[in-house]
Amino acid sequence: MKNLFLLAVLCLFAATLYAQSPASPTRFTLQGRAVDTTSAPLASSTVMLLNAKDSSLVNFTRTGDNGAFSFKNLKSGKYVLKISFVGFIPYNQVIQPTGDALMDLGALKLKPITRELMEVVVRTAKAPLTIKGDTIEYNASSFKVPPGSTVEDLLRKLPGVQVDQDGNIRAQGQEVKKVTVDGKSFFGNDPKAATKNLQAEAITKVQVFDDKTEQAKLTGINDGKKEKTVNLELKEEFKKGGFGKVTAGAGPASNNVSARFDGKGMYNKFDSKQQFSAILLGNNTNQQGLSFNDYQDFRGSNAFSYNDNADFGFSGANRYIYFGDDNESLTVPVGGGEGRGFSKNSAGGINYNYDTKKTKLSTSYYYNQTRIDLDALRENKRYLPGTSSLRTTDTSNQSNLNTNHRISFRFEKQLDSMQTLVVISNGRFGNGNSNLLSLQRVFLNSGNNSEVPTTNSQTLNNTAANQFAMANTVLYRLKLKKKGRNLAASGTFQTNSNDGDLLLKARNEFFQATSVNDMLRVLNQDQGTNSRSDQYKANLLYVEPFAKKYTWETFYNFSLRNDEVDRDVVNLDDSRRRVDSLSLYYKNNYLFNRLGTSLRYSFKGLNVSAGIAGQQFELDGKFARDQGQPLQSIRRTFTTVIPNFGLNYSLKNNKSLYAGYDVGVQIPSSRDLQPVTTNSNPLFVSRGNPNLLPQLNHNVSAYFNYFNPGSFTNFFANVYTTYYVNQIVYSQTVDPQTNIITTMPENLTGGRNLGTYFGFGFPLKKTKATLNLNTQLNFGHNLTRINTVLNETDNQNYSFGGQLALTPKEWIAFYANANFGITDTRYSINTAQNQIIYNNSFRGDLNLQLPGSFFVNTSLNYRVYKNERLNFNQQIPILNTSIYHILGKAKKAEVRLSAYDLLNRNIVVSQYAGQNFTSTERIQSLARYFMLSITYNMRGVQGKVRRDGFY
Amino acid sequence: MKNIFVLLCLLTGSVTMAQKSEGVATYVRKEHWLKITNRLTFLSQEQKDRETQTWKNWEEDNKGIKMKLAFSPNESLYTYNSDEPEEGGYSWRKSEFYLYRNFEKDKKTDIIEMLGKTYIVDDSLHAPVWKIGNQIKEVAGYICMRADTEDPIKKQKITAWFAQDIPVSAGPERMNGLPGLILELDVNDGDVTIEAVSVAFRPLTPEDLKLPKQKGKKMTDAAYDALIKQHITDRISARQSPYGWAGIRY
Repeated sequence: MKNLFLLAVLCLFAATLYAQSPASPTRFTLQGRAVDTTSAPLASSTVMLLNAKDSSLVNFTRTGDNGAFSFKNLKSGKYVLKISFVGFIPYNQVIQPTGDALMDLGALKLKPITRELMEVVVRTAKAPLTIKGDTIEYNASSFKVPPGSTVEDLLRKLPGVQVDQDGNIRAQGQEVKKVTVDGKSFFGNDPKAATKNLQAEAITKVQVFDDKTEQAKLTGINDGKKEKTVNLELKEEFKKGGFGKVTAGAGPASNNVSARFDGKGMYNKFDSKQQFSAILLGNNTNQQGLSFNDYQDFRGSNAFSYNDNADFGFSGANRYIYFGDDNESLTVPVGGGEGRGFSKNSAGGINYNYDTKKTKLSTSYYYNQTRIDLDALRENKRYLPGTSSLRTTDTSNQSNLNTNHRISFRFEKQLDSMQTLVVISNGRFGNGNSNLLSLQRVFLNSGNNSEVPTTNSQTLNNTAANQFAMANTVLYRLKLKKKGRNLAASGTFQTNSNDGDLLLKARNEFFQATSVNDMLRVLNQDQGTNSRSDQYKANLLYVEPFAKKYTWETFYNFSLRNDEVDRDVVNLDDSRRRVDSLSLYYKNNYLFNRLGTSLRYSFKGLNVSAGIAGQQFELDGKFARDQGQPLQSIRRTFTTVIPNFGLNYSLKNNKSLYAGYDVGVQIPSSRDLQPVTTNSNPLFVSRGNPNLLPQLNHNVSAYFNYFNPGSFTNFFANVYTTYYVNQIVYSQTVDPQTNIITTMPENLTGGRNLGTYFGFGFPLKKTKATLNLNTQLNFGHNLTRINTVLNETDNQNYSFGGQLALTPKEWIAFYANANFGITDTRYSINTAQNQIIYNNSFRGDLNLQLPGSFFVNTSLNYRVYKNERLNFNQQIPILNTSIYHILGKAKKAEVRLSAYDLLNRNIVVSQYAGQNFTSTERIQSLARYFMLSITYNMRGVQGKVRRDGFY
Repeated sequence: MKNIFVLLCLLTGSVTMAQKSEGVATYVRKEHWLKITNRLTFLSQEQKDRETQTWKNWEEDNKGIKMKLAFSPNESLYTYNSDEPEEGGYSWRKSEFYLYRNFEKDKKTDIIEMLGKTYIVDDSLHAPVWKIGNQIKEVAGYICMRADTEDPIKKQKITAWFAQDIPVSAGPERMNGLPGLILELDVNDGDVTIEAVSVAFRPLTPEDLKLPKQKGKKMTDAAYDALIKQHITDRISARQSPYGWAGIRY
């Protein structure tokens, strides 16, 4: 076969050459014979004819059994003949045609590569050999030496090199007289100085060759003597570096706000294995958390870890189980703040990562403090059965100070090629205090459109709390011998303790009260709450690929949580006498077990899975008004079977389809389960319910996605629906005397939600103008019990949006957004209150690059909030603009003048329609200010005209 | 007559050799997307460093994707190795990708799904201009020589390692035309590596070289190159990577 091929190739070449030009005297035939050093023919060696100018391949052939080859009808010109044969040094010869029609090179001898070099370097170390005349060099980094070894240790491993006890080096039997580093002498001419001092890790290449003697070099007269020389090439340390940036800005006091400042500094240092970073920031411009980019720079390779969740479950979207409780995040906060109120922020942290293939370590410490002042005006309208409603206005002033210390630790070790161990520990220690002064007025509307004031309430709350939370996880993964058969096991210990104290001073006047005693209620209480929660979890996952396209997964989850809460409420006006109705001591044990299994079919981009799990939730609780009193117990067991289905299908031309059904289980929070009363807002009292069951959400969803990178077009559509069983809903009871609202969680079945989203994006003109359109429709049906009457609220949300991006030139970009949101709400208990809320926003962004490295960014954001029934109509235009200049040739510094809210209209507004209420909120927030800032970035600053998004 | 005799002699004399020129090579193709990201001219150094520092461990975990090349002295077919999920994981759809070469007839047929369409490139072989180097190394148990070329459209430096003793002009991706089977390809100093993990010699069946029946847009090499060139220009001017998710093959 092989020869047929050869023949074919030869024929082809011959044919084409003949066809192109008839034989002319300048054409010639080149022939020769490849032999080894003993003149034995080397059959089937590769013979290549290269253009002498650029080594480009002109023609090739193979030698016959006698080692002979020939190239016929060659154009006159300079060639390089190259013959290669396995185990031999490739033979090179320059061919300069003599003018004769036949050029016979005779026997061409190929020298063997030493067996040692072949076996040790090529076969074992897998290092490429580079042949340069009589020099053979190879990559020394392929030779494994223990970390910390010197070059001497490395040389001992190299074939053909011997190093004696004194460190004298011999290469190919000859003594090495000279060792150079990157071609330069190293610490004089003592070869041992280099080899004994240099770390092997720093070396990438070792060359052994015969160099002219120093004498010959000096005199320029070749004395014919040659010295064995070893040259060491150092690694390019391109992976090593450091960078940092610092920004400082300040703005004058104006507009009734004090002077503004904003400062941020960050430094990173890294090499191929380690990353170290430090960050420090402070401002009073409402920037609370790290930006997403800063977070990435801070955490480096540990910014995103996958496979770290130890709570195994069904694969796909719903892999994990959730325990609905009120844990604040243990990890470094990103973003946040939303610019509400006036906040003063400081934060700082250090992070260290160490990554090698087998070991990965990451540790960090992060501190942040936020002081926020919120002046809010809230209005709430609550619909009661019949035609009556309660309107509450609340003018409040709040000041919070929160400090958090967070530590994180992650260690991953590949024990061997089959086993991996991951240890994760995250902790947070925080303390906070808050002062709230609130003035509430309640008006009753009995349906005749005239309002009667019923209540005035003035509250002063002082809160102080210390919290400690920690989560530790050990995760072990084992790959078994059969490919795809995996076992994973994990254990987690979480602890959470909170020591809080609330001083509550309230003065409530009830105008409709019938007795004098009820007309004025004054509270002066000290409420102390100590809570502690420990959770132990253990999980197992086994994956069995029992057939080529089928995978069977089985998981088991165990969780035990112990909660202990001691709440003591005392009356400060009554010599700290205990208020039993508000105090409580309880201990809850929650035991959770789940066993599940699923089967998946996977082939050609189609993945279908179906599974089932059984789970049991057991509550064993004890409570009393005080620790000393006899404990009463609550015992509940809840068992349920949950099915799961998923379909993932990727189709031709970047289309994909997904459909899934799953059941989410939400376990009631500890507080909701206890018969404890919270009165921190005396007009809105909440109480727990020991009979509460877990909530089940039946979710069905589907989506379709299409993307065409050629035409820059994309389309996305999805539909999702949820049906609630035993939904945890807060029922409300309104006291007819005082209009105090008491809420209590209970289980209601029948709530549901249906939503859909469509998005379509396409270029109006490729790369210059893009339009995106989207619409979202959402229909909700919610149940609440109001004064024992079941209310059904229907919410219909319609939202439409459009985004236009114009990028006609490099120096200009314009982005326009428009969004319309309409919420239509209907209440079954009080149809007179049906209403429509409008939330519309319009935004334009213009970014310009001016000559001389000047840039201007301007944005106008115009938001409209409207509710005709509440007579609420708020329009807020926010105009921001900044101009900046990039300094110097190195482009590492930037000066920026920014103006925020030039029209001085900022106020943060939200409106919401809930189960039987609508509410609006207006928060006084940082409005017009100016700032001059300077940034220095070691990596350079780049003026930005276009938005990012480069994938 | 004499030629036939020689041919017969050669054929009978080298039965063992014949087996060394027909079979299936399996490759692992790895895209080092951080390196590719670092080549995007519109990104600032800060963005490049951020990507590199954040995702370096993820890239290290990249196990690549298996490709196979059925080869004989006259023909070759290069495509994905399997549609089955690797190691019990999810199955991701692979785009239609079949590269057929006929060295005897100087003909090729490429079926490539990209940019929302399926393209069928029918043309002569158009082997790149190879420069032969002075390096040897072992790939999948075979001693290979180094050859270099450049992709004129994507402006990529391409290094190929071809086996000294597998006399077949075939190779992975759209590369061929060397005196031996290409067992390793390196695009742009390691941006993408395609490395043979095994070579199995066996007589090929027609099934091994069969192209699936595909509807698609027929085009020549020149039209294909023009399409690729236009796409790269468009994506770069839109500040997006031409090679990323669902883009063109690097």
